[in-house]
Amino acid sequence: MSEATHIKLAPALDYRAAAPLREELLAHRGKPIVVDGADVQRLGGQCIQVLASAARTWAHDGAGFSVVNVSQDMTRALAHVGMDTYFSEASAS
Amino acid sequence: MDPMDAIKVTFFQECDEQLAELESGLMALEAGEGDRETVNAVFRAVHSVKGGAGAFGFEDLVKFSHTFETVLDLMRSDKLAISADAMHVMLRASDVLADLVHAARDGGSVDQGRCDALMEELDQLAHGDAAPAPSAAAPEGDAPLYADVEPDEWGFVPLRVVMDDEPPVGEEAWKIIFMPRAQLYAKGSDATILLRELALLGDCEIEVDDTLVPSLDTLDANGACLSWTIILHGDKDEAAIREIFEFVEGDCDLIIERTSVSAAAPEPPPVFAPAPVIAAAPIAAAPAPTPVAKQATAPSAAAASDSEGKGGQPAANATIRVDLERVDRLIDLVGELVINQAMLAQRVAETGVARSSNVALGLDELEQLTRELQDSVMAIRAQPVKSVFQRMPRLVREIATATNKQVRLVMDGEGTEVDKTVIERLSDPITHMLRNAVDHGLESTQDRIDAGKPAEGTIRLAALHRSGRIVIEVSDDGRGINRERVRAKAIEKGLISPDVNMTDEEIDNIIFLPGFSTASAISDISGRGVGMDVVKRSIQALGGRISITSNPGKGSTFTLSLPLTLAVLDGMVVSAADQTLIAPLTTIIETLQPKAGEVRRLGPNRSVIAVRDAFVPLVDVGVALGFRKEAAQPDSCVVLLVESEGGGRAALLVDDIQGQRQVVIKSLEANYQRVEGIAAATILGDGRVALILDVDGLIAQRVSETRAETQLAKAG
Repeated sequence: MSEATHIKLAPALDYRAAAPLREELLAHRGKPIVVDGADVQRLGGQCIQVLASAARTWAHDGAGFSVVNVSQDMTRALAHVGMDTYFSEASAS
Repeated sequence: MDPMDAIKVTFFQECDEQLAELESGLMALEAGEGDRETVNAVFRAVHSVKGGAGAFGFEDLVKFSHTFETVLDLMRSDKLAISADAMHVMLRASDVLADLVHAARDGGSVDQGRCDALMEELDQLAHGDAAPAPSAAAPEGDAPLYADVEPDEWGFVPLRVVMDDEPPVGEEAWKIIFMPRAQLYAKGSDATILLRELALLGDCEIEVDDTLVPSLDTLDANGACLSWTIILHGDKDEAAIREIFEFVEGDCDLIIERTSVSAAAPEPPPVFAPAPVIAAAPIAAAPAPTPVAKQATAPSAAAASDSEGKGGQPAANATIRVDLERVDRLIDLVGELVINQAMLAQRVAETGVARSSNVALGLDELEQLTRELQDSVMAIRAQPVKSVFQRMPRLVREIATATNKQVRLVMDGEGTEVDKTVIERLSDPITHMLRNAVDHGLESTQDRIDAGKPAEGTIRLAALHRSGRIVIEVSDDGRGINRERVRAKAIEKGLISPDVNMTDEEIDNIIFLPGFSTASAISDISGRGVGMDVVKRSIQALGGRISITSNPGKGSTFTLSLPLTLAVLDGMVVSAADQTLIAPLTTIIETLQPKAGEVRRLGPNRSVIAVRDAFVPLVDVGVALGFRKEAAQPDSCVVLLVESEGGGRAALLVDDIQGQRQVVIKSLEANYQRVEGIAAATILGDGRVALILDVDGLIAQRVSETRAETQLAKAG
């Protein structure tokens, strides 16, 4: 089993960050990935979509996908959109 | 809204109508103004409530309505007199029934003592004044609800349809469906911010819908594919909610509606263990009340394939949900505009302006535009019949299980579009017909095998457009109608005379008579023979017709034909006794110029006309509607050969035909009152009201006398 790629999320994940985030994740398609949310201060809806799509895609590929070190700001943003357990379930499935 | 919730909402709306019908019927009976039809209507109201209640498992409601209905059935079959005392009990029973319906809908409770006392009084009515009917034994004590019901001759026992969710009870809340579009993000707004603002208003349950999220390689990072359903508890001002979305209203689809939610604490997500919030440190005391996301959709593989039918769809077209009242208002206004435009055109024409003048040309363009506008507006309300069809497979499965038959439902033409007002009223007739097809149409598995047929019966439900109408067909490959048995039963019930000769078609049509049923036992859900006459009535109320063709041993096909809309009508403009009238084009088979000798008088007032090799009753429209006393000379008039819903024909005698026109239907009942022989009204270009003929009504006035007259004419 190959070692998981570690991706550190940027502090500001607003609408401008969505396309670069998608590109960055897509570059590692097929490989297990660990997304680190320690630095996230702002998380917008479109970046959440990118992460949700990635979680779904990685699950479909059968590769590991997990979100770790979630900052308080990120946790709060996910709770606001009803997705506070979304990525923990995604990693579990 | 969840489809099941939507069906339940419809059921309760229908219950309200049935309760209103029940009450007015009982009041009429109490005042001595009712007749047999009133008793039938009252019975059908209670029966309909019972049927729906059974499907949703509202057992108290089923139990009470069953007892109530039993008494009404005795009344219907003249075994119980309509006395003042009986009506008194009935009226109180209708109150209790209403209470039970409201309790089922809103989750309250009813006065059980009152309910039990009324049940006892109803039982006394049933047993005291009449020999108990087979159905009269009401369930007692804690006996299972359906224990008193014997399977009918086809082994049909009503089955409670178990819903996944319980009826909404208790607390009122706001349900907000928020579907951002890409431009919402492009303009710098963000769903997370809006949802955070919303959470500040009060306790929220937020459910995310991720069914449209594609895989990462096809995802548009700047698109919008997540949407949310938020239940906001408490009694907040709608304006406060709208204010949050004020600046993004054009950039999202937003539905805000009142809803009733379970008073009990919402359940945690059932599938997953209460996992800790990701791998994060606990949230520090937040400055704002943190909304509690109590349910999240899991992006599991199962969700991706989606068993609920929500997913698997291509990205849907952008849609917007609009209050139907607003659409109706728009349609009304456009109707007015069409009339106004016609009036304007006529006035301009009266001034003698040349057809090639700028004014006339401008008016032509206006006419085209109004017509296009009308078509477009009507298209707003057009919906595919799929919304009705999609409820049917489950129904067929349940009935198949209950009747122990193997059934395959084949559906066709689900995308056929029809006006929403028509769609809403299609559900009941289709349900009845499917139930009938499985229950009575198909043979038992063993009988099928014995007859050399596949063990699995096939039922086909199809929708198609034909001649400007929508046609719904329900066909089965079952045994077909047993005409001998139907005829025998009809004679036994006194519906037809034993010595009358009937064609196969006429015998088949007996099943549409009120009170006809070949079922010898009675069940909680169906079996009293209210099915097909209810179907026929509801179809006729929509301006539709129903027919049946049956092939013994091979199956039956019920065909419904309905107008595509109830707002406009293609009509033939005719005149009779200086009145302008509209005959619905769909009822007209042909127009004739009667010749002397073709018309034969029967007595002082009636005539028949020879149309090829048959005699058809001739109805002078001017006389029938009271516009003139003396019948016109047929050879100076025009005859419209029309056909009723039941297939009966008549010749309508009018003075002249002015042309064909699409007219906007205006309800006569709503604006004046019901008039025999008139279906509705419209406003013509010259501003006058023209009445739209109720062809069925006109034929019905004559049809009972017709058979004897035609035979006389043939003999003479």
